[in-house]
Amino acid sequence: MANLIVAPIVAWFAKVGRAYHITVEHAGALGILVWESLVAVLTLKVSFRDVLRQMHIMGVQSLPIVFVTASLAGIVTSQQGGYQLISSSPRYVLGTLVVQSVVLELGPLLTAVVLVGRIGARITAELGTMVVSEQIDAFKSLGRDPVAILAAPRIIAGIITMPLLVGFADVIGIYAGMLMADLDGGLGKETFFYGARLFWHSWDLFYGFSKSLVFGFVIPVISVHMGLRTRGGAEGVGLQTTQAVMFMILTILIIDALFPPLMLQ
Amino acid sequence: MISFQNIHKAFDIPVLTGVDLTVETGEMFALFGPSGTGKSVLLKTTLSLIIPDQGDVEVDGLSVYRGPASNLDLIRRKIGYVFQHAALFDSLNVYENVSMGLPEEELAALNTAELSRRVWDALEIVNLEPREILSKLPSELSGGMKKRVGIARAIVGRPEILLWDEPTTGLDPINTAAVERLIQRLSKDLEVTSLLVTHDVEGGLHICDRVAMLHSGTLRFCGTPQEFKDSPDPVVQAFVHRDAAIAALDMAVV
Ligand SMILES: Nc1ncnc2c1ncn2[C@@H]1O[C@H](COP(=O)(O)OP(=O)(O)OP(=O)(O)O)[C@@H](O)[C@H]1O
Ligand SMILES: [Mg+2]
Repeated sequence: MANLIVAPIVAWFAKVGRAYHITVEHAGALGILVWESLVAVLTLKVSFRDVLRQMHIMGVQSLPIVFVTASLAGIVTSQQGGYQLISSSPRYVLGTLVVQSVVLELGPLLTAVVLVGRIGARITAELGTMVVSEQIDAFKSLGRDPVAILAAPRIIAGIITMPLLVGFADVIGIYAGMLMADLDGGLGKETFFYGARLFWHSWDLFYGFSKSLVFGFVIPVISVHMGLRTRGGAEGVGLQTTQAVMFMILTILIIDALFPPLMLQ
Repeated sequence: MISFQNIHKAFDIPVLTGVDLTVETGEMFALFGPSGTGKSVLLKTTLSLIIPDQGDVEVDGLSVYRGPASNLDLIRRKIGYVFQHAALFDSLNVYENVSMGLPEEELAALNTAELSRRVWDALEIVNLEPREILSKLPSELSGGMKKRVGIARAIVGRPEILLWDEPTTGLDPINTAAVERLIQRLSKDLEVTSLLVTHDVEGGLHICDRVAMLHSGTLRFCGTPQEFKDSPDPVVQAFVHRDAAIAALDMAVV
């Protein structure tokens, strides 16, 4: 009888315990990865060429897709805002709305989500495949440090590239929103920017920039971490990649939700 | 000299349960055992690619797990490792793959001509035509070629010790003989210590000074090839004969 009551409670605690254990383990391993990457950078073991190569992959090759998502974000915000603001507010508020949404939220968040799919998944799958085909072991056996060769260049490239990509996304998003406001409601460029300037704080730019910096750090760190923990064969790589994408998206959304209380007081 | 001391390793189930084995300097040593008994796991503990749950490995008196971290760097420099599935870096071509076999400082110190020479020589030793494959990516090579590039990468740094994980599996008879000759030559001419994991029992018995058999987590046998053949142990006998049978099957299939 007592078992009927106690067993589920014990099971629940066991579950919590396991989740806690897994969280702590991941946090520890992530911390070690970041630390080792930092050491690799400070001891000049990271090749500049590797960083450039990763920046090219993450940055230049992402421009088309970021262009598309940012334009669509700007267009949709502009249309939706225009529709809701009809006759209730001065029309220049649309400029405020588009610029603020894009700079504070949509630019960083959408770009991050795009990069999770384009870069994060790729990194996990790539490193996961290297693990299961013993290439990571081969690096170690040859006295090379996989963190310096594989992890650090990706993390550095992420931190540098992400803010640049977000800046690009902001410009495209705002411009697309402005064009849409003009096409849709005949709102001129001057009116649009008047509204944008009226409520503009330079802090907003810093806010968006900080977000992009954090996202640019989080994506490669998590994807490298997950990739290096891959076990099993092709199936393991697939599973690990899916989990890495979930992990990255959740982390990004949580960080995004933490930003307003921390920085928009 | 490599000495494994009481190595224990379990994954989901125990794999190694107390392995003690010493391979002397300059010796050619073959390790046999059924598939999945942990031969590759044992080799990997030498370089801390897999960390044992218990026990230690000493390489030329340097402890891998009880000594300072710098020991591992020294040991990795001494040892060349031939991976079971070649483990070539798939984003690098053959030339770059083989060059990675040189320690970083040595790589930096060599000029282009010297480096090419070294890579070229290593490839020729394993019976590959450098001109044809230098710029190829691993995905463009056959399994046997990959394996031999893996061997070239392991020997290009002129290691004192070589760990061979099934170097001849998947090679044709001519290349098998070439690799066996290479192991012998490295050992005789350069005093290189070789620890060879192989399913080719006959080849192993033929070229090695001593052999051992891993079975159910521990060493079931350790001695000279002659002692191995004469062993009354039914497990050893069954293994020898079963393997001969499989070899015959393989020949029939090929
Ligand atoms: N990284 C790992 N994670 C989990 N289990 C592992 C790992 N490496 C090896 N094993 C398990 O350890 C056991 C021994 O594997 P190992 O690769 O050493 O076998 P082996 O003797 O080399 O076999 P083969 O002759 O087929 O190469 C296997 O059951 C394998 O599933
Ligand atoms: Mg094996």
